[in-house]
Amino acid sequence: MENPPIEIQNLTAGYGHSVVLEDVTMNLEHNDFLAIIGPNGGGKTTLLKAILGIIPPKSGSIKIFGKSVEEGLKHIGYVPQKGNFDNRFPITVYDVVLMGTRGGKGYRPRYSAEQRQKAVEAMEKVGIADFASTTLSELSGGQLQRALLARAMAGEPDILLLDEPTASLDPQMKDCIYDSLKRVNDQVSILIVTHDIGVVSSQVKRIACLNRKVIVHDEPLITPDMMQLGYHCPVELLAHGIPHRTLGEHDHD
Amino acid sequence: MGYHTAHWENTTMTDWGMILSIGLIQNMFYATILASVLCGIIGTYVVVKRIVFVSGGIAHATFGGVGFAYYAQSVLLVSWFDPMLGAMVFAVGAALIIGSPRISKRLREDSTIGVLWVVGMALGVLFISLTDHSAVLVRSYESILFGNVLLVSTQDLQFMMVMIVAVLALVAFFYRDLQIVTFDEIHARITGINVTFMNTLLYVLVALTCVFVMNVVGIVLVIALLTIPAAMASMFSNDLRQIMLLAIVSSLVLSLLGLVFAIEFNIPPGASIVLTIAAFFLISLGVKSLNDRGYLS
Repeated sequence: MENPPIEIQNLTAGYGHSVVLEDVTMNLEHNDFLAIIGPNGGGKTTLLKAILGIIPPKSGSIKIFGKSVEEGLKHIGYVPQKGNFDNRFPITVYDVVLMGTRGGKGYRPRYSAEQRQKAVEAMEKVGIADFASTTLSELSGGQLQRALLARAMAGEPDILLLDEPTASLDPQMKDCIYDSLKRVNDQVSILIVTHDIGVVSSQVKRIACLNRKVIVHDEPLITPDMMQLGYHCPVELLAHGIPHRTLGEHDHD
Repeated sequence: MGYHTAHWENTTMTDWGMILSIGLIQNMFYATILASVLCGIIGTYVVVKRIVFVSGGIAHATFGGVGFAYYAQSVLLVSWFDPMLGAMVFAVGAALIIGSPRISKRLREDSTIGVLWVVGMALGVLFISLTDHSAVLVRSYESILFGNVLLVSTQDLQFMMVMIVAVLALVAFFYRDLQIVTFDEIHARITGINVTFMNTLLYVLVALTCVFVMNVVGIVLVIALLTIPAAMASMFSNDLRQIMLLAIVSSLVLSLLGLVFAIEFNIPPGASIVLTIAAFFLISLGVKSLNDRGYLS
């Protein structure tokens, strides 16, 4: 596969007449671990929706392994922030994770032994196997998050998209999630969206800042111009709260 | 065609042997059993997917179809177009409209439902007023809206049987994908499920259910059979199949009990069935709440 997992070119997207993303060009590379940071309302969720084909681009294009979004979706495992579902839905963790193995168009009446095996492995990878027969409504925030991660991994995707994967987790659990992600990173390209700047810079390979427009940096550094774009604050003010190394000088190319 | 009158004063017991030998009464029991099975299964989806209002819209739209059928039979002289068929055409039509992405793109779903709901009712009233009442026997509004199980013919029953087998086969065939779509539409889309198709299929199944069940309890009270047993079952189980089974059993027992009350106390069966189910719903709500607080363990 020579095409990059995700290739976004000059993407403009939004809702109705409002433009949320303007002229965004960026790639997710093979074995990438890219974090997209940015303020609330900066377009992080809109970008994910566009990649998932939930909203059509106003202009520009998104390719997944060189194919259209519709065709490429099968390569993607998606971990939503809280879930687009009713937490009281009567279903066990195992059944949710099994859903991740469905994969592909067409009629799929039953799960094969192989699919069940994959679901079990995915639960083990993220340390949720003990909760396999627990009902979703009985899970804590962190357990639910891991169940959703297991669902995304169970389909053995080539790309993982994660929306605020650690938002409701305590620090230990955050490390646990990032460890799980790093372990699969040699087979899977990962794109996460977060505003948890502190954790991100020590865990990922690259960082992009998105606030209507995008700045991508090829190292896990948050640069002053990202801060300027993202938060419109004088960099000096922010520098106090941020570890020194993350504010390295940024050469424009 | 009156109901049997119980004589409490002189303690005469209702002669159930005699009553159950009447063909129409037998049909009434069979229809109730079939309706319970159907509502237990489809109602579970209605409850977990929170589409009670969709079902309400579809159920009420059927009134237009019933009216149109009377009009077609008496004025247009299309004698084969009976009320159940008319109800089915309107119900499935409403289901297709609610499921259409072209419409949901422009209108909020509950607005669409509200429009279908009232237009269906108004069309029913209009068509029934245009119907030539000397040419066709029109059921009363009361009987159409609130049910009259005594009017279920053997032909209706056979039709119900065929359709129930079809509905059950569809649910069995699409069980897993229905589970995924009712749980998480976005994930369903990503895994390659045609969400529009599955949603529309579910709405059509709801529509067919409404058409059969209105024979038993009437249009207005369909929602009761569709909602209450499944809601009650979902308080006690976290497994979709178990909820279906529990809903079927409770709906079966309680609606038959409701029928018995109706005959024994000479009250309209539709209302009797609904109130019996509702009473047990309240009781189980109380039991559940006591249990959650640890009083029963």
